Amino acid sequence: MGLTAAADLLIAFGVAVELACCAGIIVMRGAYDKLHYLGPAAIVGPLSIAAAIVVRESVSPAGIKALLTAGLLAVASPVLTHATARALYIRQRDHREPGEP
Amino acid sequence: MNAWLFGAAALSLGLVPCGAVILRGRLLEALIGLQLAGVLQTVILLLLAEGYHEGSLFDLALVLALLSLAAGLVFARMLERWV
Repeated sequence: MGLTAAADLLIAFGVAVELACCAGIIVMRGAYDKLHYLGPAAIVGPLSIAAAIVVRESVSPAGIKALLTAGLLAVASPVLTHATARALYIRQRDHREPGEP
Repeated sequence: MNAWLFGAAALSLGLVPCGAVILRGRLLEALIGLQLAGVLQTVILLLLAEGYHEGSLFDLALVLALLSLAAGLVFARMLERWV
């Protein structure tokens, strides 16, 4: 019963973080501001869900794969954010977007 | 309907803002929306795998996470100069 409640809590937390990031990405105006919401969505949310799976399944193939997936997302997120911010900077430096002052 | 499937359904709603950013935003804003959508789909697959006790969906989530990284890097590199 305790483990089930802990898993449910972790699921709720992970889903809430993901949905908050979705709200943030649509509310924020510029691309740089939107980029900030990729981090929590790719690190905190998946790790919380993977932790919930491990709490329920313990160290099984399913739990290990979930942890691997969350770990991969956590490692990939800063790399992707950096690559996207770099692309954004170079585009803004080299040529203006249509409609930009 | 258990908590896993409920979570997956709730996260599916999160794809709507991502789609809106992809359709309405500028080019790199659309890329950010695409990256967030990839993360969401990966987490949805994890939740569905646990909710349905379907072990093969865990593999799918892992492959999707890997391919999202590669796709994001390729898109970012292309949008940097070529488009």
